[in-house]
Amino acid sequence: MNYSTELIKGTLKTIILKLLADNKKMYGYEITQKVKELTLDRIQITEGALYPTLHALEADKLVTTETEYIGKRIRKYYSLSPTGKAQAREKVKELASFMDTMISLLDIKPKMT
Amino acid sequence: MQSLNEQQIDFILGDIHARGVRLESLQYDLLDHVCVLIEQQLEKEEDFEQCYEATIRAFYRQELREIEEETIFLLACRNRLTLSRNQFFVLLFTIFIGPFVSYDLVWLVTSGPTAGWNIPLHIWAPTVVYSLFPLLILLVLLLTPERLDPLIPVKSKVLLGIRPFIKIIPHFSKSQVADV
Repeated sequence: MNYSTELIKGTLKTIILKLLADNKKMYGYEITQKVKELTLDRIQITEGALYPTLHALEADKLVTTETEYIGKRIRKYYSLSPTGKAQAREKVKELASFMDTMISLLDIKPKMT
Repeated sequence: MQSLNEQQIDFILGDIHARGVRLESLQYDLLDHVCVLIEQQLEKEEDFEQCYEATIRAFYRQELREIEEETIFLLACRNRLTLSRNQFFVLLFTIFIGPFVSYDLVWLVTSGPTAGWNIPLHIWAPTVVYSLFPLLILLVLLLTPERLDPLIPVKSKVLLGIRPFIKIIPHFSKSQVADV
């Protein structure tokens, strides 16, 4: 099942912050692949959504960047700042609480797997 | 894995720039991303240009610079209140008319019971005058075709905040761009 754009858009910041919290430093392509891998291809983050969000997080000082030369091209690695680490925890907590509320609101019975 | 040569990297960077992406930091992000994808693809296909065209096309809906527009929009939105054009005018006119309406209400509460609830001319006249002018302007704006409204085009967003206090984003394409 592919999820709607609206659902993913609202959680993109949280996804990125959590991935960076778990993986120290990552570059753009790596983030998209990690999301695909962890969600078994059910969530695919496009470049059009990823990079604007990363740049906004950088402007908010939640992530920091470092560059590395790969031959002639520059690779930008993103990692969490101390504020970003706290924000990642807060965002995940908020999303978990929201999901609990939605489960209760929509009367969804959790799957027993 | 086959690595791209310097000429190919220059070609991609030049093309990204030619497609309207001007933020250097974003150019590097896109360049690296495209290069990784192409290097993987070149293991299956041999034609670089064909491979590049197919790869870059997957990055956008209409134009590559949508990504930059979205980036600029998100950066501009930070610490700002985002209003639609109509919301902005409602807020603006509320600020203009609000004091007069408030004055009338205060008069009604304090003097109404003794004055017989008839608001005298010198109290209600300014309210009507100051209400009519903004409403007239709003009517003109609503009836003005987009191409004739150079200040705040119909689909634009108005951002309120510091540096500068009011910022207008005329071609608001957020919903088209951030297609996850």
